[in-house]
Amino acid sequence: MIPLVSLVDAVLHFLDPAVLARVLFDGLAKASIYVMIAAGLTLIFGLMGVLNFAHGSLTAIGAYLGGLVMVTFAASASGNVGRIALFFVAIVVVFALLTAFGGAMEVSLIRPLYDRPPLYQILLTFGITLVLEELLRMVLLFYDIQPSTDWLEAQGTRPEIISKTHDVFGLGVEGLEVFQILLGVAITAGVWIFLTRTRYGLYIRAGSEDGEMAQALGVNVHQAFTVVFGVGVGITGVAGALLMWDSAWAASIDLGAEVLLPAFVVVIVGGLGTFRGTVVAGVLVGFVDAFTTELFTSNIVGFSALPELFIFLILVGTLVLRPQGLFGVEEVGGH
Amino acid sequence: MNHLLELDDVHTYYGESHILEGASLHVDPGETVALVGRNGVGKTTTLRTALQLTPPRSGTVTYDGEDVSGRQTHEVAQAGMGWIPEDRRMFSQLTVEENIQVAVKDAERVDTHLDRAFEAFPDLREFRNRKAGNLSGGQQQMVAIARGLVGENDLLLVDEPSEGLAPQIVEDVANALRAVATDASLLLVEQNFPLAMDLADRFYLMDHGEVVHSDTTEGVSADDEEIRRYLT
Amino acid sequence: MAISEPTDAPDDGATDDVATDGGTATADSADVASETTTDEHYLVEYLREHVAHAFVVAFFGLYPFAHTFLTGSLVGAEMAMFLPRVQTMITVFYFGLFAMSFDFISGYTGYLSFGHSAFYGLGAYFVILVANGKVPLLGSGTPFMMLLLIAGILAVVMALVMGSVAFRLTGVYFAMITLGFAQILYVFFSNWDYLGSNPRDGIAVLGRQDGFSIGVPYVDSLNMSIGQLQGDTFTWGMDFAAITGIDALSPISHTIALGPGEVSYYMVGLVVLVCYFMLQRIIHSPFGRAMIAIRENEERARAVGYDTFRLKMGAFAISGFFGAVAGGLFTGYRTSVAPENSFYFLTAGDALLASIIGGFGTIAGPLFGRLFHEGLHEFLTKEGGGLLPYLRSHLGEGTLNTVILDGFTVSEAIEVFLNGRAGLYIGLLFVLFVLYVPNGLLGTLRGYLGGTVAGQVAAAVKRRVRGWKL
Repeated sequence: MIPLVSLVDAVLHFLDPAVLARVLFDGLAKASIYVMIAAGLTLIFGLMGVLNFAHGSLTAIGAYLGGLVMVTFAASASGNVGRIALFFVAIVVVFALLTAFGGAMEVSLIRPLYDRPPLYQILLTFGITLVLEELLRMVLLFYDIQPSTDWLEAQGTRPEIISKTHDVFGLGVEGLEVFQILLGVAITAGVWIFLTRTRYGLYIRAGSEDGEMAQALGVNVHQAFTVVFGVGVGITGVAGALLMWDSAWAASIDLGAEVLLPAFVVVIVGGLGTFRGTVVAGVLVGFVDAFTTELFTSNIVGFSALPELFIFLILVGTLVLRPQGLFGVEEVGGH
Repeated sequence: MNHLLELDDVHTYYGESHILEGASLHVDPGETVALVGRNGVGKTTTLRTALQLTPPRSGTVTYDGEDVSGRQTHEVAQAGMGWIPEDRRMFSQLTVEENIQVAVKDAERVDTHLDRAFEAFPDLREFRNRKAGNLSGGQQQMVAIARGLVGENDLLLVDEPSEGLAPQIVEDVANALRAVATDASLLLVEQNFPLAMDLADRFYLMDHGEVVHSDTTEGVSADDEEIRRYLT
Repeated sequence: MAISEPTDAPDDGATDDVATDGGTATADSADVASETTTDEHYLVEYLREHVAHAFVVAFFGLYPFAHTFLTGSLVGAEMAMFLPRVQTMITVFYFGLFAMSFDFISGYTGYLSFGHSAFYGLGAYFVILVANGKVPLLGSGTPFMMLLLIAGILAVVMALVMGSVAFRLTGVYFAMITLGFAQILYVFFSNWDYLGSNPRDGIAVLGRQDGFSIGVPYVDSLNMSIGQLQGDTFTWGMDFAAITGIDALSPISHTIALGPGEVSYYMVGLVVLVCYFMLQRIIHSPFGRAMIAIRENEERARAVGYDTFRLKMGAFAISGFFGAVAGGLFTGYRTSVAPENSFYFLTAGDALLASIIGGFGTIAGPLFGRLFHEGLHEFLTKEGGGLLPYLRSHLGEGTLNTVILDGFTVSEAIEVFLNGRAGLYIGLLFVLFVLYVPNGLLGTLRGYLGGTVAGQVAAAVKRRVRGWKL
């Protein structure tokens, strides 16, 4: 336990405006990441009740695909604007490819299992993740890219403005974090608009609540399953592409496992299947992560894995106190 | 003979339990038909079988001259069969307006249909942005009927519309169904026997997964010896 | 492999396929049943009922000799390629036990214990921490068997704590909360300085000189030391020729010499065998039938009067016990452990893999599933005489350097597509099993035979030998 003196020190430390601003800013950046890595998972779970264990490896594939686009064309896109434009091309490519892949995966592999117990979907997607990870490893080895270490070449394609720490009112603000926040907000808004302002989004929300009723009203729920699985996987890939630039995550084969568990935590804490819950939980986990990281880096607590530990404590705490999650409703443990 | 809906010797199972054991019935255009019988004789299953939510293992379901057995439910719904289910099955997290929007099949004319629904059920207009899960049972029943209305259905399968509602609300629901019945045929499952006889032109009496009796509703009362045998 | 109890109705081919008759808890005891069956000697009867077990035990018992013999034969190279090494078989044993314990809770009650690695890690770390003198009250020389038992009991306590919270949930939520618990332990054990200087890389046995022994505690002559490097050796028989120095005596000099690997193999195998019989006994008791009733329909199980919460807690505790014993065996043999190969959730994932391939909801299935996994793994790695050295020595330079496509040679293709790629093929197989063989190897065999494998084999033997007098 923290002795009283250092507790006082800790409080004083966080009262320093510069520290506070940094923690808030870090928290926001981390929150963006957590929301993005969980968004695809929550869409899929919400509509189909499938907890996709292949989520992590799909993120890793997105990171490598995005990196591939960047590395291939980096030479012809120099300067801040060129690189950022290229990055948007990369995420469009990643989104398109992974959406198609996700749709195909749903039709060929997931669909035969809807009438089996939900356990089998966990098993199947777990198997898929093993296969995808090994396939990815094979492809990387084939191209002489070391799969278990971070792909630095892809990280090196960051434009200068994003790699740099900017001075804003005397505070050091990292360009990458600004970029992550902007992209996180954009993607969250995009998904939000898709769900609430489009007819397809309406079908998805209706189908998530009661698929049978939606079908009886003429909604082709099976098609919606395919589309949502595809789009969910596509968003997952885009999140991966963003992580490729971040040295704390980076493109590597291990990214899959690194992403999978936090994504589960965010989705469950928010309430399985509610996008709003996922956003709130992502922000919560992001801020807790930033706060506990600060506790360690400022030597208040000597336990380096504090953020990681807290993420799982949040998970267990939520399931003990409010199993349906922050925004989940009804049928606890129903899926 | 061109029936709108026809079930011919339909056998339906839930897993291994045999629910419909050769049920046959039909609904003609424009008529309201009641399906009565004790709990558990297969009335709800009959509606589910018509919609292909629980497809028949044998026998045929014909809708509008086409064999729809084994087709996907959404296709049957698109063909003009609507469902006003037991317990109303609201999308509770969606607003009233969104609940009705889901049921509109013609994406081009969503607003027209919404207006039509609100004209038919003026009360709903003021709740349009409220979550359907927060409405009272009677209000939810109106939303459920409105969903049937805006789907431009030729046939509505109505399951226990008066269940759990206060008597004065039941009267409102009955009026709403009468209004809807001017445009569409109704196949109505209803425990409240006098109400069923009041709304319907004809009725089928079911027992043990089969239709055991069929007649027009004129002058029929629950005191009828044969009917009482199957209802109590 | 769920083994039948001695049945008193052999003629109607009665099967006690516990997977389908769940719920009706009949309590016909084995003794009563066998007394009423025949007048044969009970030992004969017992062996007959367990003929499938006897075959399996005989197979594993003779395996080291068969391996030595076959790899030394004319087709030695081919045999070395296909047959797992004895050392590999040891890992099959202890990890197989862990997979059994995982399947005991997950396959039989339907509650997917995705954090089952918590128990394995607990057992593994407990043994090493005691050996390193880091556990209060327990000296570093505490007998290994005692450690296994204490680790098991600690796991029971942990299972009861975890279960009291987790069993309020079902399905995905249950899987997630157990996973959460395991990951908390994983993070904690990856970073706790008390364990060693670099906890993330794991810890090794430092303090203990004499290794870990399996046998009767405190009776030295009834113990055999296990370990990869320092285990006991064992010699049986007399080498007269060597003792007397007279070469002419060599034809009557027969010895069976077991190296550390073989001794560890038999001792670890023995513990796993005992654990298997205990698990199998439980599954065939009324308690086991109640577990299956929960899997089939928990509502109904509750309606017919089962206290499902307590049953689940009991099953979880038992499963945790054996999970920790497996973890203890793992470090007893390996004398080192890392968070990655114990507490990490993918350890439970490997158990899941073994269970699905071997047979979800069977006891012995996971062991065979693991055998398959390890066998394939070894087949596709460079070590242990798998496929790759074989191909390299038999294909010849010319073939290996043949270019398939754009400078990509056969040798490189082997490297990319085969070397260490067991994970890929196991994964593919796993997916195919989930889709098309959901009952796994043993479960499918059981379905095919119309009852538990051991039960059906016993019945078949009985039909065949009726009239023989033994």
